[in-house]
Amino acid sequence: MADDTEPTPRRGAAKAAKPATKAPAKRAAKAPAKAPAKQAARATKAPAKATAKRAPARKQPYSAADEIRAAGASPEPVAPPVAATPSTETRALAIEVRGLKKSFKGGVDAVRGVDLEVREGEVFGFLGPNGAGKTTTVRMLCTLLPITEGQARVAGHDVARDAAAVRRRIGVALQEIGLDPLQTARELLELQCGLYGMDRPRAAGRAKELLELVGLTEAADRRTKTFSGGMKRRLDLATALVHSPSVLFLDEPTTGLDPASRATVWDEVRRINESGTTVFLTTQYLEEADQLCDRLAIIDHGRIVAAGTPEELKSAMGSDVITITLPNALHRAACEAIEGMRGLDQVVEERDALALYVDNGAERIAQVVRLLDKADITPTALTVARPTLDDVFLKATGRRLEGDKEESA
Amino acid sequence: MRVLWLMTRRAVVEAIRTPEATVPLLFIPVFFLFVNLGQLGEQFDGAPFLKGQNYAAFQLPVSMIFAVIGIGSGLALVTEIENGYFDKFLVAPIPRLTILLGRLGADFLRNLVTATVVLLLGMAVGVRVESGVLGAVVLVLLCAFFGMAYGGSAILIALRTGNTQAVNLASLVFFPLLFLSPNAVPREGMQSWLETAAAFNPVTYVLEGTRSLVIDGWDAGSLLACVLVTFATAAVLLGLSVRAMRTYGT
Repeated sequence: MADDTEPTPRRGAAKAAKPATKAPAKRAAKAPAKAPAKQAARATKAPAKATAKRAPARKQPYSAADEIRAAGASPEPVAPPVAATPSTETRALAIEVRGLKKSFKGGVDAVRGVDLEVREGEVFGFLGPNGAGKTTTVRMLCTLLPITEGQARVAGHDVARDAAAVRRRIGVALQEIGLDPLQTARELLELQCGLYGMDRPRAAGRAKELLELVGLTEAADRRTKTFSGGMKRRLDLATALVHSPSVLFLDEPTTGLDPASRATVWDEVRRINESGTTVFLTTQYLEEADQLCDRLAIIDHGRIVAAGTPEELKSAMGSDVITITLPNALHRAACEAIEGMRGLDQVVEERDALALYVDNGAERIAQVVRLLDKADITPTALTVARPTLDDVFLKATGRRLEGDKEESA
Repeated sequence: MRVLWLMTRRAVVEAIRTPEATVPLLFIPVFFLFVNLGQLGEQFDGAPFLKGQNYAAFQLPVSMIFAVIGIGSGLALVTEIENGYFDKFLVAPIPRLTILLGRLGADFLRNLVTATVVLLLGMAVGVRVESGVLGAVVLVLLCAFFGMAYGGSAILIALRTGNTQAVNLASLVFFPLLFLSPNAVPREGMQSWLETAAAFNPVTYVLEGTRSLVIDGWDAGSLLACVLVTFATAAVLLGLSVRAMRTYGT
């Protein structure tokens, strides 16, 4: 990885303007700074960060921004080894989409005017329920589906006018795992290398490298039809990487995977991203968007309903969630006790818990404790959390993306 | 060029690894050869159109054509479209034509093998190729080429419909084409309505041309008609397939 003693201001002024943080000592020595920073941030995220600074939204390209500061890690971006000094506007944006629309025959408007900007080096998430237009958008950006209206530039080239140039620079792993069951993993990768112009020895070398990268060396000479879902997904990911693409498209990379395989794919994606590849991924999982993505856009019915870093999106909610864990039987009494409390937006009843949306969690929690105490109610647990992406989704679309409790606490 | 080779090799490997698709391709023509021989062989013994050979010589080209009418490529293509592997080729920086040509090339190679096997079997039961070794080579090449062209119909249907059943139609359609041709007796021996139908059937000319190599030796007229029809079939079916590939997804 690149030396991070001198931050490269490749992501524009916003980054440079950030206060230099104190604790360089905390910076992990060998590992790329970004990942540990994110992890550290995640650790602090759990309960109560009500006082976390609500940074002016637009300015910060990275979700981890506030959190990094909170965690005392370095906010400096790590320059990726490739494309070190992009200076022009087109190079700084890996994907640029204006007014993108797709109408299918029969009058189905799958995508109804999408605008997107994905910066180089980002992991950008496209979050939405099934049928929201995610896959259609990805297929258009990958040159697989003609664009009905609007413009899209990917890796500096117009998707419609210069599809060949785009194809050379992108890697694609679609929702349908596209593997030939009759080929072995190694054959499949070597063929894929050949399609990207490598000669035989280079193809063999690259295939070997990638098999190692995705942990399939032992299964390399087995036909892919014998592979498990997770193995197929990893191999599919590897085929998308043969030519070290500058932009990687992943359409629902973890749908249908068990939690362990999902975690492996996430690690893979982080590693790929750390080596400088811009990642555009679609997902219907909130946690995935939260964990992996620097920025994300929420799409519903073919339109983007919200966009920003996960933090920005959550901050924009303007409220925290205080979760009172207590048996259902006590809900009514608890509700009565806290009714009319200042700063309380909304109470949502969940199973054995009440979720209170309040303006400032840290300030209000004491009040909640007092009110409950006065009513002689002792909750099993009391937590303060920032709103989740599901709350953001709820606010933007009026529906929940996943089950109620999926992400809270 | 290397990409074309890779795509061809890959389709060949696929054919080798799916013997269940290739072996029946051989079984049916061999079966037909012997059944027809058993039923009609004695009846036509010494018939003038056999020119002194046994009936197997007359049937051999039918069997060889049977051995190359494979829709495996079309079926494999549908599978590939369905499981998403096809998208990998579409999104790779390769000419789309190579996807098609790779499959056709593999078909041609496979046809060379199956046609040769049937030819050797025919020779084992006493068929002489009147036009000699060169004639036998031309015979195999013509069969293989026609089979490849015909396989183009399956590829075309695969690209247009993405539907297995529809692709299977391509092989079903071949049966009426074959039975409306001089597959069991020469055209002169047919009832007049059938003779008329046969005159409009391209398979008639393919059969007559390839058969002339076996029975008559070098007959320029039959051979030319056969070559022209074969090439015309290829031009139409492969032309449409190429167009379907170019415009796929749009």
